[in-house]
Amino acid sequence: MATAAASAVLLAATACGGSSSSGSGTSSAPAVSGSATSGTITWWASPITTSGSDPRTVLIKKFEKAYPKIHVNLQSAPTDTDTNRSSLITTISGGATSPDVYMGDVIWPGQFGKAGLAAPLSKYLPKSYFSQFAPGLAQGATYNGQVYGAPFFEDEGFLYYRKDLLAKEHMKVPTTWQQLESEASTLTKKKDAKYGYVWEGDSYEGLTCDFMEYLGSAGGTVLNSGMNGSTLNSAAGKKALSFMQSLITSGASPKAVTTMQEPQAMSAFASGQSAFLRNWDYGYSYANTASSPSKVVGKVGVAPLPGFAGGTSPGTSTIGGWNLYINPHSKHVAADLTFIKWMTGATAEKTLATQFSEIPTLQSVRTSSGVVSSNPVLAAAAKTRLIPRPAGTPQYAKVSQAIYTNVNSALTGSAQPGPALSSASSAINSAVSSSGSGL
Amino acid sequence: MASSSHDAFRRRQARLGWALSAPALTVIAAVTIFPICYAIAMSVSNVSATGSGFSLNGLTGNNYSIMFNAPQWRYALFFTVLYTVVTVAIEVALGTAIALVLERLTWARGWMMALMLIPWSMITVINAQLWGYIYNPTYGVLDDIFSRLGLGAPVILGTKVPAIMALMGADVWKTTPFVVIIVLAGLVMIPRDYYEAAAVDGAGGWTIFWKITFPQLRPTIALAVLFRVLQAFGLFDLPFVLTNGGPGDSTQSLAILAYNAMFRDLDFGPGAAVATSTALLVVIGCLVFLKVFRAQAGTEES
Repeated sequence: MATAAASAVLLAATACGGSSSSGSGTSSAPAVSGSATSGTITWWASPITTSGSDPRTVLIKKFEKAYPKIHVNLQSAPTDTDTNRSSLITTISGGATSPDVYMGDVIWPGQFGKAGLAAPLSKYLPKSYFSQFAPGLAQGATYNGQVYGAPFFEDEGFLYYRKDLLAKEHMKVPTTWQQLESEASTLTKKKDAKYGYVWEGDSYEGLTCDFMEYLGSAGGTVLNSGMNGSTLNSAAGKKALSFMQSLITSGASPKAVTTMQEPQAMSAFASGQSAFLRNWDYGYSYANTASSPSKVVGKVGVAPLPGFAGGTSPGTSTIGGWNLYINPHSKHVAADLTFIKWMTGATAEKTLATQFSEIPTLQSVRTSSGVVSSNPVLAAAAKTRLIPRPAGTPQYAKVSQAIYTNVNSALTGSAQPGPALSSASSAINSAVSSSGSGL
Repeated sequence: MASSSHDAFRRRQARLGWALSAPALTVIAAVTIFPICYAIAMSVSNVSATGSGFSLNGLTGNNYSIMFNAPQWRYALFFTVLYTVVTVAIEVALGTAIALVLERLTWARGWMMALMLIPWSMITVINAQLWGYIYNPTYGVLDDIFSRLGLGAPVILGTKVPAIMALMGADVWKTTPFVVIIVLAGLVMIPRDYYEAAAVDGAGGWTIFWKITFPQLRPTIALAVLFRVLQAFGLFDLPFVLTNGGPGDSTQSLAILAYNAMFRDLDFGPGAAVATSTALLVVIGCLVFLKVFRAQAGTEES
């Protein structure tokens, strides 16, 4: 009986694939529900971790054990997210039927949904599927009422600190930004470390992520609720940007942070040059793994990011991480859905969390005691306040560029916070209003 | 009569030649001429990118008006022109000087050439990564030198003017050898008699250079400048790797601007307008340069 149902589903899938409808098309039959048991699909995914065994192949092997007749080909994607995105855009808009499933950034749903580069998953999967994830994740993958991405693993900003240095100077783990700033400057003045606090200040997407955390802690937002106007040039915006600037001018952070991306900040911390670090989930295992080039193994602690004094603590952490999307031209939608459901299911999520210390998206796995106790990062993750980037607009790429170029200008000292914010604000307004077409 | 049969033969030969090269020409047309024409068409159309490809809906001048009104475009144009003029000038002056030295060498010339070809033969992205290590503000060798000299720890790629100079330095390091090779080829073509005659007339080194070597090298240098301008104007990989257009957008070249508009923002119309106008500008620039250069050569000869 099961096989009969499966073959009926497969027939529907081929019929659907044959019409090669784009994401905005309505001809796709919602009968496909992800219960296919055979077929070959291609999964496009960039490397998830750089050390140890490859989580992608580990998961594929487990999946193929559960569904022996579905074969998954792994196509390794570029590690640089922007290059990854442009490769996908050219491939899919060219009508390619492969890859069938791709791993994409959590900020893509707006742009990809609007351009029809991803199939709307909510047409195939019930509401109950999406409600299993941690609050905000499915909503973050939604554009225009449709969910485009299945939350695969989550990421967020953390504060990493040197336990040994804090103990030596009898300092506490900072819970406010101001405390972090003063401890970082003290540690550099006492020559305990070359740098106090390193983070991602280069002119790129990572700076938008960092800025959002200060902005969120200060109570500010980037876009209004209609997603058609900037709310950035506010008192909260000025508070956030002035504070980031003061980190550099006070000596808590080196001037070099304005050229740092994740790897540079990570290596400054792991080589023992910096006392504090803001980085993603991988920072803990990187700094604490003896096989990595880290010189601070066993001396690293992790905490939620601080908030502003007088505000809520902990502060806000920007949501990062990856979703699984379906190529709208895929000819194996039923098998794609089977794969996605398994990859976002309890077995895969638990493997990602306990074996590779990625933050799981399923609420039940996130809060299970086995996962929380397996890793201090996952324990810290349970306490953070998450904040999304304003990616609900298809013009997010431009909004983010307006933020990071202007914030970077302010950090390098070539602009004051006020003018930098008003310039960012007007660039955001011209991006999200009207057609949004521009340079 | 003999000549007309000869003509007929040549025509037949020409036809055969075209027929034989037709397959290759078709491939070239498909992979270069079609995309160029398509980009031009995109730049004057309302483009919408969808999951099933691009659709061009009607003619419009909007893409170009967006471009002309964008301060980013004006800055990118200024930056690209400045970058091209400065790097090409330095490379040609330095390359010519090195070629003059190399020409005097005997057995060492081959070795020196081989050494100089290393930077040029390296892929620009790798070259850029290497310079990235040198310029790195936390462990870069250049910052180490600066701090040992007591000049502090500048953040080279994070400060506007030093970032631009750093890109130029990496470019000069990589492409000066290219100019050296072209100029050296021109140098060895100059007949020895000219120099002997000048020496007999009692001309000094500078006089010989300006009266004989340089005028004879003119076409070669023009060629080197043309090649370099074409390449420098399309500046992409160095800033893409080293600065990503930053700090702010101070190293955003026209090519980076077009790439970002097309592949990051999916604004294919305005992006195509930037790409098309960049190509047009560099062609016009080269034609003007050739004209001026030829005109000057003409007046000097007469």
